[in-house]
Amino acid sequence: MFQERPAPIAPAEPSRRHALVAVPALREKLAPGVGELWLAAHFARLPLDALLPGSRQARAAAVTALEDPRRAVVACNERAVRQGIGVGMGLNAALALVPGLHVLERRPAAEAALLDRLGRWALQFTPVVSLEPPGAVLAEVRGSLDLFGGAMALVRRALAGLSASGLSASLALAPTPRAALWLARAGLAMTVTRVDMLPGIAARLPLACLQWPEDAVATLDGLGIASVADLLRLPRAGFATRFGPRLLEELDEGLGRRPAPRRRHVVPERFDERLELPAAAEAVAVLQPSLERLLARLEAFLRARASGIRALRVDLLHRGRPPTRLSLALARMARDGEALRELLDERLGRCRLAEPVVALRLRSGVLSPLQLRDAGLFERGRSADPEATARLLDLLRARLGHDAVFGVLPVPEHRPERAFRIAEPGNLAGLPVPWPATRPARPLWMLAEPQPLDGWAGALVTGPERIETGWWDGHDVRRDYYVALSRAGVRLWIFRERPPGQGWFLHGVFG
Amino acid sequence: MSDALEELLRHPALWRGGDAGAPETIPTGFCALDAELPGGGWPVATLIELLVPAAGIGEIRLLLPALRRLTAATAGPPRWIAWLAPPHLPYAPALADAGLDPAHMLVIRPRAGVDRLWAMEQALRSGACAVVLGWAGPAHDAALRRLKLAAEEGATPAFLLRSPAHRGDPSPAALRLALAARDSGLDVEILKSRGGGPARVERLPIH
Repeated sequence: MFQERPAPIAPAEPSRRHALVAVPALREKLAPGVGELWLAAHFARLPLDALLPGSRQARAAAVTALEDPRRAVVACNERAVRQGIGVGMGLNAALALVPGLHVLERRPAAEAALLDRLGRWALQFTPVVSLEPPGAVLAEVRGSLDLFGGAMALVRRALAGLSASGLSASLALAPTPRAALWLARAGLAMTVTRVDMLPGIAARLPLACLQWPEDAVATLDGLGIASVADLLRLPRAGFATRFGPRLLEELDEGLGRRPAPRRRHVVPERFDERLELPAAAEAVAVLQPSLERLLARLEAFLRARASGIRALRVDLLHRGRPPTRLSLALARMARDGEALRELLDERLGRCRLAEPVVALRLRSGVLSPLQLRDAGLFERGRSADPEATARLLDLLRARLGHDAVFGVLPVPEHRPERAFRIAEPGNLAGLPVPWPATRPARPLWMLAEPQPLDGWAGALVTGPERIETGWWDGHDVRRDYYVALSRAGVRLWIFRERPPGQGWFLHGVFG
Repeated sequence: MSDALEELLRHPALWRGGDAGAPETIPTGFCALDAELPGGGWPVATLIELLVPAAGIGEIRLLLPALRRLTAATAGPPRWIAWLAPPHLPYAPALADAGLDPAHMLVIRPRAGVDRLWAMEQALRSGACAVVLGWAGPAHDAALRRLKLAAEEGATPAFLLRSPAHRGDPSPAALRLALAARDSGLDVEILKSRGGGPARVERLPIH
């Protein structure tokens, strides 16, 4: 397809040229990005910074993803780099270089939370902020330049704020958001103010800063395309056929040839109020009236916004001591102050006040729109009521702890101890197709660990069922299972390791 | 009455007016046992006590047909089969083999003994459970009475599995059975039933 390379096809879109010819007066308006200036902050070390604040990275640290079989390093700190570790290096190689390397497991949720915080932080510069997962934030700052005393001053201020939080970022400014991203990813701390300069500058960038899908990069590599400059020399039509229109659009967006609408980062609204107690409270019961007042305000706040919450935190503030924190995570959306109070009562009831409480602070999680439902005739009847279901989970977990309440799901797997998993109750996500029940019966009760049966002398009822599998992941199992009857008349599921000789183990009870 | 209609009328999700007198029941799935039980089955909205000498003699297999019936497809989210402080973990593959939808399982494992009775009461009262199976350990008469009230309030059958050591204790349960394993079957002794007398079913063939 690219045999005619290096056919000198300038990246100009015929349809666009046509439009401009037809309506030349619109040229200024059509060229997007004019007047805009985007600040991109790229956080290459976000996976690490999200897990370990910079101030606590005293030794060489690296993050790897568990699902990656090589456990390649996705981010590492300065110390690790100085000792020869780099992104993309396999974990084994990294540990061989630095045996004392602090290895952390990647947590996308923590990264998303940090990026969200960074988005909120960027709102101090401009109201137009957009998150660019996995590791960048964009802000349109043209209108704010005067306020902050110019682009350089703004960048200095942003960098100072970030380094105070122990975060390292690469910042760049460009007239289109995508070009700003490219520059920031390439680590080029530069400011480009004019759209017509973009093609020339982009041509000097490495391909990697586009962050294109691996297969596209591999194909380009096969074609001998190593830089954006090479890329821009490719024929448009052939490129679109080969890689799809999306990547071409990205290029055009970056170079300001087509508009690139971005979703605004909107800071979610939360409830956060504090109430001073009339007198320091020594007992939980004394807190009740104040807590009820705060909950009533929360309810009014939520009603006015037709919203509900799924998380709530209560801080019991002490004088000169860190607050006592109680947090509730709810299985269902809540708005009703009374229902929340019931749940908090469960928590407060088991809370010992080490210090007198001088004030309360109530903070909600993110608000979500509440779907209103009419209270039906059979609201408390026998049909499956989602409210009742979720309320029960919340209530049990508030008192017993989150992990004391769970569901169990089957997993298609031959090894009995791996043929199920603990799951969120009622959550069918990831439920495999039913395992064909052609195998012999399984016991209704499973022991947490097989228990050795010393001197077993009961009667074997059926068996053996040979289970021999798992050699590929190192947890191999070679067992002969039997159904047996204990002297008390309990039907047991027992096994003997193969080759025999290690005695019998109890694994399940037929119930 | 046709079998299909009979079946329909026994569906736990069906509410029938005007029959508040006799307690509602569902078949146990074992004809020999149904014949001895007043109403021809398990009462569905009250406390049932099973005295089990050793965990695993067949007490769950005895309940499987009822569990299937109680969780038969209803619209909306699942009503739970709540396992409260079970002696071992319910094994999902075996439950699925037995025709129970794993999405209905709710395992509750409180650490403290007092929390067991509390959790069982909450589960019953919520109306969110199709059935609650509880291994509550020692409990006073008053605590059991609370469980029975909660079961009635939530219209949820409560099976309380206890040791035969409690056989002599007073119990408010509407139905009390003592189980014993015999020849790969189950001997069921009816100690107490509302509207019926003591009876015995021998070698119930549970599979």
